[in-house]
Amino acid sequence: MAKYGFLIDASRCIDCRACLVACSVENNVPMKSTRIWIKDSGVTGEFPNLERYTAPFHCMHCIDPSCVSACTVGALQKNEDGIITYDNEACIGCRYCMYACPFEVPHFEWSKQFALITKCDLCVSRLAEGQKEPACAATCPTDAIQFGSRGDMLAMAHERIRSQPERYVEHIFGEHENGGTSTFYISPVSFDQLGFPTAETTDSPAHFNRIATEEGTPIIAAGAAIGMTGIYLALEHNGKKQAVRKTEHAEDKHDTAGKE
Amino acid sequence: MALNIKVKSIKVLEGLPRFVYILAVIAALGMSAGLYRLYAGLNDTTNLSTVFPWGLWISFDLTNVAFSGAAFTLSMLVYIFHMHDLHAAVRPTVLFGLLGYSSVLVILFFDLGRWDRFWHFLVYPNLSSALFEVSWCIAIYSGILTFEFLPIILDKFKNAKISKFVEKITVGMVIAGITLSSMHQSSLGSLFVIQIHRLHPLWYSMMQPEFFLVSSMAAGISTIIIGSYVSIWMFKQTLSEKIIEKLGSFVPWIFGLYLLMKLGDLILGSKLELLFTSGILSVLYVAELLLTLAAIIWFSIKKLRSTRKNAVNGALIIAAGIVLNRFDVTWFAMKSLDGSFYFPSLIEIALVVGVACGLIVVYSLAAHFLPVFSETLPVKDLPSSELEVLQLTQPVAGD
Repeated sequence: MAKYGFLIDASRCIDCRACLVACSVENNVPMKSTRIWIKDSGVTGEFPNLERYTAPFHCMHCIDPSCVSACTVGALQKNEDGIITYDNEACIGCRYCMYACPFEVPHFEWSKQFALITKCDLCVSRLAEGQKEPACAATCPTDAIQFGSRGDMLAMAHERIRSQPERYVEHIFGEHENGGTSTFYISPVSFDQLGFPTAETTDSPAHFNRIATEEGTPIIAAGAAIGMTGIYLALEHNGKKQAVRKTEHAEDKHDTAGKE
Repeated sequence: MALNIKVKSIKVLEGLPRFVYILAVIAALGMSAGLYRLYAGLNDTTNLSTVFPWGLWISFDLTNVAFSGAAFTLSMLVYIFHMHDLHAAVRPTVLFGLLGYSSVLVILFFDLGRWDRFWHFLVYPNLSSALFEVSWCIAIYSGILTFEFLPIILDKFKNAKISKFVEKITVGMVIAGITLSSMHQSSLGSLFVIQIHRLHPLWYSMMQPEFFLVSSMAAGISTIIIGSYVSIWMFKQTLSEKIIEKLGSFVPWIFGLYLLMKLGDLILGSKLELLFTSGILSVLYVAELLLTLAAIIWFSIKKLRSTRKNAVNGALIIAAGIVLNRFDVTWFAMKSLDGSFYFPSLIEIALVVGVACGLIVVYSLAAHFLPVFSETLPVKDLPSSELEVLQLTQPVAGD
């Protein structure tokens, strides 16, 4: 079950990038590492009423994650708390997850000789040590990133939109996207404007993938094996019968020839 | 002493077409490009990036697997459908399949970020992953192709006991091979079922696995027909027009089914409108459909499919349709995240060209040393009418 959740509020984000620093320090990865980055609406409006909104973006930790369904070697897994973890000991760097994820989250270490995927793991080791929050949420000075139970975060998102309808568009990004995630965004401008990826709001592609791989393929395999065996045996049987008939026919001829 | 061995080895290679040496040099250059990529990483050597993580290598792999479908298609016709009159094509085709799959594995190796872990799929299973399934199927199927290739080697060493055993279990192996081929040909299509947000809706379909599976059979037949033409000037061997005609006669059925499925998908998926509104992608999609239709008509006409030259032209139509389809799905119709167009780097192209040349070199060497063409028709035995059409001036002894 998805235990944890994020609520990320674009109206509170001041683009200070403290979350990027915190992530870099916590996970011992370079600053330019791509576990967390900033989505930016760019400057909009007319002078002097200019507006610009930003929001930190990282793995959404989907309820039914496409990446987990796709990963060739099962390096991506959903743990019992609903966190999508990444095993850098198993990954072969095939980059299938980059195509599977509708949120464009998995990134690849293109410059490295031995290159792996980079992805937010919700500071799973930090939580295991008993700390309450992942580094980004703990650091955020404006509470743009909040962390708690998934249910609380979703309720809080709904509450904020309800109590301040003039401040937010009526859309909680992540509530239904990709069949539901553990990260909820609310924003004063549309998510399209913020440069968010568009994701299907019905089932996760993982669902369609399972139909193809767990139902389609076995059916095709069974069909091929049984069909081919059946056709082979039928034709073999037929061929033998014909051969027998032919020899019988020849014998008949031989017999009549003998009588004459 | 060393010189002696050298002279001897050159003598052994006598009769090999000259240009094979040139191809070997190109193959070596291509492989060096690949080795350099392993050393330098993907960023400096390829045009792959976050916005387009799979490129020419994947397109080549998928196309190659489709054409290597020749092996399972032919063994199905010969061993399962008892069309033993097609048997002469088995050895050259199985060899092509074996080398085709091997070249796919070579390119995949260079594509992996952690190429040193290419074997991980053996110990880290993910049963819902299409790529995991493809890896396993291709690995086992390569083994089966090696088995199907065994008679050629055994012929050379004349071990009757093993030959008999091999013959005995051939049908079982062929059925296993067809099953595994059906699985991985279709699973390569399953790869794209999860990419609903990435692949253009004209191509995105839940039927993608079936599209790839069915079309791979037509691709396989085109491989055999084109191959029989190439082998005329490479190995002075070919298949009879009768075999070519018979193989061609299946194309309308296979591609007919394929076209029906494609049209059904367009209509049921209410995508007909996209045929007119997707710009260049509409053109590509319609081109695919027209090539498929052209191949169906071409091979429906007995006059066309029963002469060698016309059949080869028809096979080229099939091949064009297949190449376009696989490149569309993996490349042209695949969304790049920032809308830019991916084009491969020189090193990416060099590796593909090198591996393709290497395939021809290894094929030539195998055909040189092993009785690959033992059942085929020597060019000199072709009827003189055909030789004229092919414009082969055959010096006829004593004439």
